Amino acid sequence: MLLTSVLCVPFVAGLACLFPRSRAGVESINISGFVAVLVLGVKLFKSVLANNENAVTEWDGFLRADALSAWMVLLISVVSLATSLYAVRYFRRDVADAVVNERRFREFYVLTPLFATCMFLVVLANNLGVMWIAVEATALSSALLVALYNRKTSLEAAWKYVTLGGLGLVLALFGTIFTYAAAIGKAGGETLPSFNWSRLLAIAPQLDRHLMTLAFIFVLVGYGTKAGLAPMHTWLPDAHSEAPSPTSAMLSGVSLKIAVYALLRFHILTTACLGSGFSGELLSGFGLFSMLLAGPFILVQKNLKRMLAYSSLEHVGLICVAVGMNAWLTVFGALLHMGYHALTKPVLFFAAGNIHQQFHTLDFRRIGCGLVHRMPKTALLLGLAAVAVSGFPPFGLFVSELTVIAGGFTSQHAWASVVILTSLIVVFCGVLNKLAGLLLGPSDSEHAAEAISTSNVAAMSLPLATLLLFTAWMPGSLRQLMEQAANIIRGMP
Amino acid sequence: MNPPTSETGSQFITLLASLMLVLQVLLAVQPMLITNIRIFALQSLLLAAIAGVVGSAYHAGHVYVVAALTLVGKVLFLPWWLERLVRQIKIEQEIRPFVNMPASMLICGALTVLAYVVARPITSLERLGSNTVAVAIALLLTGFFLMINRRKAITQVLALLTMENGVMLAAIALTTYGMPLVVEIGIFFDVVIAVMVLGILVFRIRETFASMDVSKLNELKW
Repeated sequence: MLLTSVLCVPFVAGLACLFPRSRAGVESINISGFVAVLVLGVKLFKSVLANNENAVTEWDGFLRADALSAWMVLLISVVSLATSLYAVRYFRRDVADAVVNERRFREFYVLTPLFATCMFLVVLANNLGVMWIAVEATALSSALLVALYNRKTSLEAAWKYVTLGGLGLVLALFGTIFTYAAAIGKAGGETLPSFNWSRLLAIAPQLDRHLMTLAFIFVLVGYGTKAGLAPMHTWLPDAHSEAPSPTSAMLSGVSLKIAVYALLRFHILTTACLGSGFSGELLSGFGLFSMLLAGPFILVQKNLKRMLAYSSLEHVGLICVAVGMNAWLTVFGALLHMGYHALTKPVLFFAAGNIHQQFHTLDFRRIGCGLVHRMPKTALLLGLAAVAVSGFPPFGLFVSELTVIAGGFTSQHAWASVVILTSLIVVFCGVLNKLAGLLLGPSDSEHAAEAISTSNVAAMSLPLATLLLFTAWMPGSLRQLMEQAANIIRGMP
Repeated sequence: MNPPTSETGSQFITLLASLMLVLQVLLAVQPMLITNIRIFALQSLLLAAIAGVVGSAYHAGHVYVVAALTLVGKVLFLPWWLERLVRQIKIEQEIRPFVNMPASMLICGALTVLAYVVARPITSLERLGSNTVAVAIALLLTGFFLMINRRKAITQVLALLTMENGVMLAAIALTTYGMPLVVEIGIFFDVVIAVMVLGILVFRIRETFASMDVSKLNELKW
């Protein structure tokens, strides 16, 4: 019942938020729901490890969790919990400033757990069709969250998000159907063969090669749109910058990686069917292009949250290249990077949210410089997280990036590693240059006008503390889980 | 199933599919909004009919369910809901596309030819109505064109829906029995909810911008 409860708890928590009268009631339901999910996620991770490389299944194989799914479940639950802790202060302030009304407040607390439920379904569904349905549902549940503020720009962002996402997902559905068609007549003459990923993988060498090639191209463009891979990324900076900060954190921290996860499932299947590096090369190509594109846009960016969105684009690109290179070290590095990035990006968006509430703008020039004097606590967190996200030691992203680059050099992908290194340096300079200008320097008003209590700061810095902890000390079981997941991606379970 | 039935069935499906394509071209050149919604309803009716033919040719019960869902959802409910939305927000009826009518026709024709070229390697599969894959891809491509060519938010929704029709046609054409029922039902509800969400956004855009012209959504740049 473990998998079922991972899906049910956030769903029920979301619906329950419709009922309480007080706002405090809604907040506590939200937080306790996500705490429960995190506990279930940890239990799931233990039982997957205890199951000796066999997947945990429920409902006759309808829900299935292997090491890769368990890893994603952990990421989703950690980021959701961090977000719900931060959201309390964020929305209290927004309600006090009358930026959101009671109805929008409820909308956030109902839709966010539903958004999380859909993401859990993506990683737990065995049936590829159901996986598509769940990915579409994540887009739909988050679209109204992007439009929460009802500003002109946020409506524009939400519209682009849904229409572009919808277009992408129609293509992904086409690819999914091609995959199904490739299996027909191949599995011992069943008229309606199973659409389960595990079943398809078992008969992968018999699948229709032509259809699978075509299917992967459609799926790559389709889910690639949802993952924000360039050149289908145009919705990404809009949606990330216009959404309320807790939603931006969810979108960037996990939602992009969920789409990458969907791509990975097809990548594994296609590689097993064709027995070649076809899908890996395509993934690397799109990933490298995204990384190269992100750098220049960060250098010229004028808006804080848009800059953070382009940094997400760069990290998603890195994950795709690393998986595409298909060496053991790079795939392991990609999984590690997913985790570390999921812990870093939310903090950046939280800090950006505080700044937006203080100055009512995210434009670098209008905020001015010398933020350390005006908002010392937020500035400190923003600075630390920025150092982490640009890949500085002692933070984990340094380790995972180094793993990927080292893996690339040792596996005849030297040129790709050089490109990765170059674009990482460009982004590094861009992010630190922009944020140094924002944080340091003289301030026009010397008094600190920041109204954040210590518990708020603690809630915000929790992911960063977790990041430091897991950089310094990686538990053996977690490492084992990632190693198993890396083997699944490389097709050697 | 005896061969003659399959032969007639196959021809019938091809006929219905090509009618869907004709309606798609009509959609590309028709300037009135309400008529566009009705053309979409008619196109979905043809899709439901195709599902019905497949169901009867193979005596497959669950394909009938798909046909019934299409009939209720895409022929009756969504068009009704969209028309109500159009009336509610009192928008002017005529749509001004970016490309004029004859050019749109030519582009649609070219896209259809392209679709047939792309689908040639797959159409050799010997299944009922597998030659409709080309039509499905053509619906997808012309849907893209419709999306780019229109300024009004609701017509973009319609373009998305016709593309979805194309995908469902491909599902029927490529897979004999359609997909497992749970997938079909899930896709169906996703589409309905997608249109609802888009409808809510259209409503809010109309309130905030006093217009439904998506070319006015241009404040966010890189």
